[in-house]
Amino acid sequence: MSESSAALRPPLVDGNRRPGEVTQDISHSLEGRPSWLWWVGLGLSSSLLALGIAAVSYTLAKGIGTWGLNRTVGWGFDITNFVFWIGIGHAGTLISAVLFLFRQHWRTAVNRSAEAMTIFAVMCAGLFPLIHMGRPWLAYFVFPYPNFRGPLWINFRSALCWDVFAVATYFLVSLTFWYIGMVPDLATLRDRASSGLKHRLYSWLSLGWNGSARVWLRYETVYLLLAGLATPLVFSVHTIVSMDFATAILPGWHTTIFPPYFVAGAIFSGLAMVLTLMLVARKVMRLENYITARHVGSMCKLIIGTGGIVAMAYSTEFFIAWYSGNPYEQFVFMNRALGPFSWAYWTMVGCNVLTPQLFWFKKIRSNLVLVFILSIFINIGMWFERFVIIVTSLHRDFLPSSWNTYIPTKIEVATLLGSFGLFFTLFLLFCRFLPVISMSEIKGVLHHGRPHDGGGR
Amino acid sequence: MNRKLTGVFANEREILAVTADCREQGYEIVDVYTPYPVHGIDRAMGLSPSRITFVCFALTLLGATLKLWFQTWTSAVSWPVNIGGKPLHSLPAFVPVTFEAAILCGALGTVLVLLIRSGLFPWSKPRLPAPGVTDDRFVLAIRQTNPDLPPDLAERLLRDHGAIEIREDRGEEES
Amino acid sequence: MSRNDDKQYRRSPEESGHDAVEPVSGIVAPVDRRRFMQLAGFAVGSAALAGCSRGVEHGVMPYLIRPEEVTPGKPYWYASVCGGCAAGCGILAKARDGRPIKLEGNADHPVSRGGLCAIGQASVLGLYDSRSLRAPLRGAVASDWETIDGKIGATLDEVRAGGGRVRFLTDSVTGPVEQERIGAFLSRFDDGKHVTYDPISVSAIVDAHRDTHNLDAIPGYRFERAEVIVSVGADFLGGWISPVEHTAAYRSGRRLDGPDWAFSHHVQLESRLSLTGSNADRRIAIPAGSDAPIIGHLAERIAGLAGSSTPWGTLPPCPLPDDTIAGLALRLWSAPRGRTLVLCGLNDPQVQVLVNYVNELLGNYGSTSTETTLDVESVSMQRRGNDAELHTLLEELDSGTIDALFVRGVNPLYDLPGGERLIDALTRVKLVVSFTDHPDETSMHAGFVCPEPHFLASWGDSEPIAGVVSVRQPTIRPIGSTRPLLESLAIWSGQPMSAYEIVRDYWRRNIFERRLNSATFEDFWNRTLHDGFARVRRVVPGGFGATTKLSGVAIMAPERWSAPANDRFALDLYPAPGLLDGRHAHNAWLYELPDPITKTVWDNFASISSLAAEAAGLVTGDVARIAAPDSRDGFVELPVLVQPGQDDATISISLGYGRLGTDRFADVGPKWLEGHPTIDAGETIGVSAAPLLRWVNRTLSFAGRHVQMEKTGLRHQLTTTQKHHTLEIPRRLSMSGETHRAIVQETDLAAWRADPHSGGHAHHDLATLWSEFPRQKHHWGLAIDLSACTGCSACVIACQAENNIPVVGKDEVQRVREMHWMRIDRYYSGDDADIDVVHMPMMCQHCDRAPCETVCPVQATVQSSEGLNQQVYNRCIGTRYCANNCPYKVRRFNWFDYPRDDRLQNLALNPDVTVRSRGVMEKCSLCVQRIQDAKADSKTTGRELQDGDIQPACVQSCPAGAIVFGDMNDEESRLSHLKHDPRHYTVLAELGVKPTVGYLTLVRNREET
Repeated sequence: MSESSAALRPPLVDGNRRPGEVTQDISHSLEGRPSWLWWVGLGLSSSLLALGIAAVSYTLAKGIGTWGLNRTVGWGFDITNFVFWIGIGHAGTLISAVLFLFRQHWRTAVNRSAEAMTIFAVMCAGLFPLIHMGRPWLAYFVFPYPNFRGPLWINFRSALCWDVFAVATYFLVSLTFWYIGMVPDLATLRDRASSGLKHRLYSWLSLGWNGSARVWLRYETVYLLLAGLATPLVFSVHTIVSMDFATAILPGWHTTIFPPYFVAGAIFSGLAMVLTLMLVARKVMRLENYITARHVGSMCKLIIGTGGIVAMAYSTEFFIAWYSGNPYEQFVFMNRALGPFSWAYWTMVGCNVLTPQLFWFKKIRSNLVLVFILSIFINIGMWFERFVIIVTSLHRDFLPSSWNTYIPTKIEVATLLGSFGLFFTLFLLFCRFLPVISMSEIKGVLHHGRPHDGGGR
Repeated sequence: MNRKLTGVFANEREILAVTADCREQGYEIVDVYTPYPVHGIDRAMGLSPSRITFVCFALTLLGATLKLWFQTWTSAVSWPVNIGGKPLHSLPAFVPVTFEAAILCGALGTVLVLLIRSGLFPWSKPRLPAPGVTDDRFVLAIRQTNPDLPPDLAERLLRDHGAIEIREDRGEEES
Repeated sequence: MSRNDDKQYRRSPEESGHDAVEPVSGIVAPVDRRRFMQLAGFAVGSAALAGCSRGVEHGVMPYLIRPEEVTPGKPYWYASVCGGCAAGCGILAKARDGRPIKLEGNADHPVSRGGLCAIGQASVLGLYDSRSLRAPLRGAVASDWETIDGKIGATLDEVRAGGGRVRFLTDSVTGPVEQERIGAFLSRFDDGKHVTYDPISVSAIVDAHRDTHNLDAIPGYRFERAEVIVSVGADFLGGWISPVEHTAAYRSGRRLDGPDWAFSHHVQLESRLSLTGSNADRRIAIPAGSDAPIIGHLAERIAGLAGSSTPWGTLPPCPLPDDTIAGLALRLWSAPRGRTLVLCGLNDPQVQVLVNYVNELLGNYGSTSTETTLDVESVSMQRRGNDAELHTLLEELDSGTIDALFVRGVNPLYDLPGGERLIDALTRVKLVVSFTDHPDETSMHAGFVCPEPHFLASWGDSEPIAGVVSVRQPTIRPIGSTRPLLESLAIWSGQPMSAYEIVRDYWRRNIFERRLNSATFEDFWNRTLHDGFARVRRVVPGGFGATTKLSGVAIMAPERWSAPANDRFALDLYPAPGLLDGRHAHNAWLYELPDPITKTVWDNFASISSLAAEAAGLVTGDVARIAAPDSRDGFVELPVLVQPGQDDATISISLGYGRLGTDRFADVGPKWLEGHPTIDAGETIGVSAAPLLRWVNRTLSFAGRHVQMEKTGLRHQLTTTQKHHTLEIPRRLSMSGETHRAIVQETDLAAWRADPHSGGHAHHDLATLWSEFPRQKHHWGLAIDLSACTGCSACVIACQAENNIPVVGKDEVQRVREMHWMRIDRYYSGDDADIDVVHMPMMCQHCDRAPCETVCPVQATVQSSEGLNQQVYNRCIGTRYCANNCPYKVRRFNWFDYPRDDRLQNLALNPDVTVRSRGVMEKCSLCVQRIQDAKADSKTTGRELQDGDIQPACVQSCPAGAIVFGDMNDEESRLSHLKHDPRHYTVLAELGVKPTVGYLTLVRNREET
């Protein structure tokens, strides 16, 4: 039985656990005292967050002039960070929704935290379009609400307007998906929790869940539907983000390849981020049994794949620039590779095209420390991809008279660090107060007490 | 004649088998409680697949239609403005938002329906048939409505399938 | 059609106290006594001037009770005279609610002809300068007029009693009345003398003409009549004598409109790349000061062609190859007699005599009626400086024999070399009185400072051209307790009178009797006030009346000119484009106005050629020590700027910088974490180059002094608004090998005559997906003639004044955040030796398919039904997406809340234009406020809008008339014709954004070259 199926495939959960033990393991990390590592992490990230808050407050008080932008380069760190974070988010949805549709059971160990990552990443992302506005206190202008100016509506032809709807939808749907998936586990925690505030909180959140098969049936259908909706959503969101650039007339932005290019890039970067987080969570939350070398392995393989697509996109862009015969387009790409920002360009290529190739080797894949380091490289590379696309296209466009450069200020750097602070703070809190791994799903893939056919598939 | 039995089991295999048997014997399956979705239990209980799929489809369509209409109305009817010389009714430009609206409406609507239909609300108290059902226990609740069934058959069935614990309660709290 | 008739010109309200006047024909709303009483009702001036007693001093205030018939928000126009420099352009001052807020050239005035330079445009800001003196100073402490008058009066009596020497030192006084009053004042002393000098001196030209043509003035230069212009270092489109007048004339000699087109050939020989040189058809770099031998050889050649014997022996060697000179001579000689013009910028009488000789040979001298290029009747009275007299005065001062010195309009301690010695000299003078409006280097050592009101706030007159007289009438009451020179003199001569009375009295006595028509004085006076000028009988200064023939004067070969040794450079000092001799050193607009050539702001610098830079191991921004070995204190330290087109042996430095008190601009622009102040306290903006000036036989010499340059190792940030200076992309960044960007269309005259489309690109019709939106009535647009634009940048300041554009300071400009809605892109092409320059005014192109509009999420920028691309400030949330998507990068973002806390300065704001708040995008609106105003007028008057009724600020100010605004729906409009001109094209047409702003191909006259 379990042995025979084990021969076919390595088990998803090591150390042949029983459901009760699963509950024990996972809930334990929430009920026990946090490890010193957790405290250190929280300390670091929250101080970064504080720095970010200071920087943003200063920007709000003084104006966008506190950033290094100018009349030629109107977007810099702000939108770079926005696209970067949105991209991070996408892997979460990919793992939770897309892999679910493909019945990839190995995802169960990571999907919960991947979804959490999505939500926090989207929160970070959403921050930037807001603060990058000259007058953020009027941000509500972007919503089509009836007003006394006519009513004056918004411009549905603007890609920024599409962004508003895409990102909002993405956030809400991801949040629902995440929460709904968590309800059974919350019920488990509720029933374990000794009465008191914790108990009341969990019972509120678990919506009186009692594991009735009838509800399970409906529940699973809805979960499937959500996965089905989230999948096209995740593609549409980054497609629309890419349209911020693709629908502009700027050489280097105005290209039809952007949607697939951006989606692939997003998933690529997101997977790297998932890896980074998983490997940390695994250590900090002592979940070695659940997040196994196999998970890391499959992630690395996905990274090789998406990384390949990204590399393809880079070369296609260059080819098309040459093939189009459009001098402005041609110049932009030559300027990226050899111009003042070539260092950024080659950092991007190095991190995004070369790094993933190392994952072809099993030795590297299975060396978690190495994987951790490489995943960070990819994160850096993907950040630079957005930076290159935005800044190098802007800083030298049509009229040479307005050619210029862009030097970020301390404020911008602090804001970027702050967004990381926000992200990790939220993630660490999540690890502390919510089940990092979906217990109900894990129990579903245990070998313990399953009919013969059910072997871990 | 109305007696209700609840049997607590230790694993998925047993609950599937016992549920199937009880149903064959003509017991009414009140409900089955499991810590995780047990595949095949619906067949064992003889449940028909959920119809919520259609609800979702309808909602998605609704969202799309409303949003498309809204965009056209605001851009071309309510206050037409010449923007970059583009046509007032720029259909291609309206597609992305329409799509997002469809997804949003579909997803949130469906979840709402689920919660209402299954009575899952923050304030609703959980009615647990037995402790540990959200941990590692599998519970079967059956009701005997047919008086000609031998009185001890139910217990025997449950015990044979390895029930850890059997509780019987006469249906006074029923009705 | 002339703009006067639809503008309501006003006589100054200060008149109201005086006799009633009959309505003047030509004024739309008759101006009667009643109206004047009403005008007097508001803050502007009043009858008070009578007897020179002024009421309590207040700043300007808005109405408390609105006088009937005065509509707030309706501007009143006063015809007056610009005081920005001595050129005396006629202006129309636009006063809103009693505040002059905009100056425009008077279209009928013979000097300005409608245009007005950047300095003139900016001078309105000076009126509201909160740092200017508000009360007389005694020493350095504020005092009051009674005390001052008492003291000065006493000292003067003493001096008169002792038969002491009194000297009145001024710059060129173009006002006859002031000239006369100063004379009258001095006549009360046994030894009183009026000494005039111009810090940027051209006195050699006057001296030469005194000798050669018995003419005590500068002849009228008729560029419009010239077919060949050879200018040796005369920057006549830039800072030389009367730029606006010259630009207009120059342009009317270079037209390509219609069958009667004319296009002069202009050769410029100069040591630095000047504005004039940048417009020349042919430009030759020469070492500074080598003008002398070049003129000499040219004269010899032409004399040869003329068959007249050269009156001198051997000439010094010529720095230019013989055939170049020969070519020039031939070009000049083969042109019709009297239709050429040879100019020289060198302030050396001997050379200027040679120039006159050449022009004489070419038959260029003549009267106003003859069609020749040099007019000895309608002569220029715009420069009257006499260096020799100044030199004498300096000697007198040294010897300590001067008892009283009055300094007005000049700043000798700053303008002149050897400052220290002057200071000692001044201390030996009993009475030193300065009339400056800001504490300056000289007034520091003056016993008394008697500040004068701004020229927009005081009475005066001018006669810039012989026979053209204007009255300068105030448009506002003086701010603070300042007093016009005329009144001060009157009081000190013991017969107090108001400036108004003095001017009228003088006109009644002197000007009126020169009238050409028979009219009563009142008519004459009113008509002059209304028109802004009057033509009267010419009185040409000079002994027995100027001759058009060269009088028997010894033409000598110029003294030997020595090229600088190879480690030395020839120095070339020139007036700063904005500040001139430094008289505008307190005007922030002019500091932030990019230098037309280098595009530098907030600094002066030493221009050197790339070759020289390499040799000295210097790069732009390195501070160099430039010293004249032949003097102790003759040195300056300032950053170098590597300038294409610069002569390899020449260092050029602009005068006018480094003025005392310019650290006031420390608090210009926003303050924040990483921001730097424009200037540190106690420092000055730029460096004064006056120490390098020198006297060469009693004339001020600006060019040719030999200096050496050494590296100091220091660096100073030079800020330019343009970072990439050519239309070529770096070759290594070009995929196809093609490096040129066809932003500017260029051709030469020959090609244009062969094919008017020459220089254009094959314009395959660009397909479109969408149908046009209907343009209800009008479809506004612009056409900019690239071969007309000289790059003078008047439009930039006009736009700034009209549209309340903030000054952001050096650091913000360094961060590429200057706010000018209108910029002038300057592109170089060719190599250092033979460089071509293009000036391309660039503002919002008001695209019909505006890419900025499509991307704005909140509809903050949309298309108007008349084809304007509108920015809706209060809807803008500042995503900057529009700016990113603008292919012309003409949108400007409010990065900060720019300081607006100078309440007085704020009075210069145009109430018709919103002051934009932080975080909002802005850009050129084609002066929509003017369009709406004109439409409203035509509605109320029921008179159809005529072509030309509407003139955006840039169009109005352009002295060259390079920019034309109009309605493209009106087939008859001038614009429509230009739009159909074969030379017309739109920038980046291939993008399909359909700009409504178009450009006309740049044509250079290069047939023979």
